[in-house]
Amino acid sequence: MKDSRVIAESVCKQYRQSYAVRRKQRDTAAHANHAWALRDVSFSVGPGEMLGVIGANGAGKSTLLRLLGGVGRPTTGAIHVNGRIGALLDLGGGFLGDLTGRENAILAGVVAGLLRSEIVARMDQIVAFAELEDYIDHPVRTYSTGMMMRLAFAVAVHTDPEILLVDEFLSVGDLAFQAKCNSRIKSLRAGGCAIVMVSHGMDQVRQLCDRALWLKHGEVAAFGSSDVVARLFETEMKNETLKRTPHVAKRALGDGVDLVAGENRFGTFEMEIDSIRFHPGTALRSGEPLAVVIGFSAASKISAPVFVVSITRDDGTVCLDTSTHLARKEVPDLHGSGHVRFTMDRLDLGPGNYFLDVGVFESKWLHAYDYHWHAYPFTVEGIIEHKGVLAPPCTWEMGGIPAGERTRTN
Amino acid sequence: MNLENVIPGVAEPTSSRRWRHAWDVLVVLTGRDLKAQYKRSFLGFGWALASPLLQLIIFSTIFQGVLGSRIPNYACFVFIGVLVWGWFQGSLGQSVGLITGNAALARQPGFPLSLLPHVTVSVRFLHFAIAMPLLFGLLWWNGLRPTASWSALPLIIAIQYLLSVGIAYPLASLNVLHRDTQHIVSVLLQLMMFVTPVFYDIRVVPEPLREWFYLNPMVSIVDAWRSVLLYGQWPDSRSLWILSGVALCLIVVGRKIFIAHSHRFVEEM
Repeated sequence: MKDSRVIAESVCKQYRQSYAVRRKQRDTAAHANHAWALRDVSFSVGPGEMLGVIGANGAGKSTLLRLLGGVGRPTTGAIHVNGRIGALLDLGGGFLGDLTGRENAILAGVVAGLLRSEIVARMDQIVAFAELEDYIDHPVRTYSTGMMMRLAFAVAVHTDPEILLVDEFLSVGDLAFQAKCNSRIKSLRAGGCAIVMVSHGMDQVRQLCDRALWLKHGEVAAFGSSDVVARLFETEMKNETLKRTPHVAKRALGDGVDLVAGENRFGTFEMEIDSIRFHPGTALRSGEPLAVVIGFSAASKISAPVFVVSITRDDGTVCLDTSTHLARKEVPDLHGSGHVRFTMDRLDLGPGNYFLDVGVFESKWLHAYDYHWHAYPFTVEGIIEHKGVLAPPCTWEMGGIPAGERTRTN
Repeated sequence: MNLENVIPGVAEPTSSRRWRHAWDVLVVLTGRDLKAQYKRSFLGFGWALASPLLQLIIFSTIFQGVLGSRIPNYACFVFIGVLVWGWFQGSLGQSVGLITGNAALARQPGFPLSLLPHVTVSVRFLHFAIAMPLLFGLLWWNGLRPTASWSALPLIIAIQYLLSVGIAYPLASLNVLHRDTQHIVSVLLQLMMFVTPVFYDIRVVPEPLREWFYLNPMVSIVDAWRSVLLYGQWPDSRSLWILSGVALCLIVVGRKIFIAHSHRFVEEM
């Protein structure tokens, strides 16, 4: 968890309730769980990284963005923010209809923390970006929603934020403008800006974000590579639209970890992962080989499923994310039980605690049949001689330095 | 969690930048409020003149023409009261809804919300200031010329400014938690106008009761304006000292209360 722009440490948020609500809830028994808007949410976002926050309505996404922006405080836990925050929370919400686009842009810039002179100096860029050259001196009430959002977005990305909080914004505007927004987001990220985006568009999350955080009733349902988390979310949505809550028994995995559907296990369960075995074991040395044997069973014929394996460090950093699809490995139609073996010749990870996530997906990636998230922890031991995720064998050699030079500098 | 390795972003904004930014926020938001208020009206900012002028005409007709007030220079007397009270009433009346009416600003990360009461009081001050030449013209026309004591006016203005901002802070934060505040304040302001000598002289109030009137800070402020402008005398320094002290205490404590509650504003709205 080094070099981060945003760090959330087991953040909990409980809204104070008005007297009327408290009195009403005293009669209903099951209110204790719903009082928490956020519960034990931890993650970090580094410079240049983009985190997607997904989840159903009321899952706490907006609350999280608000807390990150310093508007309100977590009930317990802490949020550390390093850098200037820009925000696209309610687009154009602060705009005043009777003022011109230019006046509103100056207003928005100053409110976002720029000096008046700074925003005036950038005005030409902003107007050009928003493509509002002909309208900038017209009152904003004559603008279409799209024009207003373009202006709001243009101002926000021209305030040089180091952290950008976006609430469901980039999906607006025509395709050409979206492409422009995406390229602007890329250049912001290249400049070290960390972005946290709330989104309902899973394609957008997969396309733009490195990692995704799935919130469910205020708790982290899954956190990791945006690809996988977005798919898990879609799987759950699919189950909900089918009105089908799969009845699978809770399974004890040892070490006190239980596999529970909806918590660390997601899928439609037409095909199930029965067992995971680590060879040689779950305590490894850096550089050792690791093989994972995935036992599965399919009650009916499953055509060409995709097996997925990913390794995540305990702070959410995705170290490896691969699949039979990416490796172009043909998987036949499966029926009955069997196993799949995934082998890594060297596990060159730095010392630390990791999770192995395994899953099997529908052949077109439409949903998960079975996915076990953060159910299999393992540790890597080794000498701490590296920082970062990778710890391959490496050496330093001195060459081409004259001996005399070296002594003279001493 | 290794916080030592958090990368240093841009250097913390220097305090000089913060002051410049605060000034820009004040200027831009004051401009916004004025423009929003008058942009689509024919008379525009002229309304800042028109409404005190109308009040002046009504008060002087009723009290001098109909009720036969014997105060000399009654038009000037009443105009001072109307303007000074108008600034105070307008400031407080609008500050109550500061946070509730500026939800977008309250949600903006890093926005210095504590500047908002300054914006409202400044907007009302500009209304006050634009009517000042009219007042000076009226004084001149009635044969009243500037004296050395006029140099006390900026001090009186500063005291009223601080006093208004100091009261605005707790009112604005209270209104977020209890929306009844805005209704109570509008009723209180109406009552308070009658215990402020806007259109009568404080000396008509019987002696034992008058002491109590001075609990209302606006009594001393209106008094100070009148003694300077109408009688060419220095204002009562003792009451100004007390008022300055009260205003400073209010602004320090009020701002503390406001900032201590500001993290709850958005979730309570």
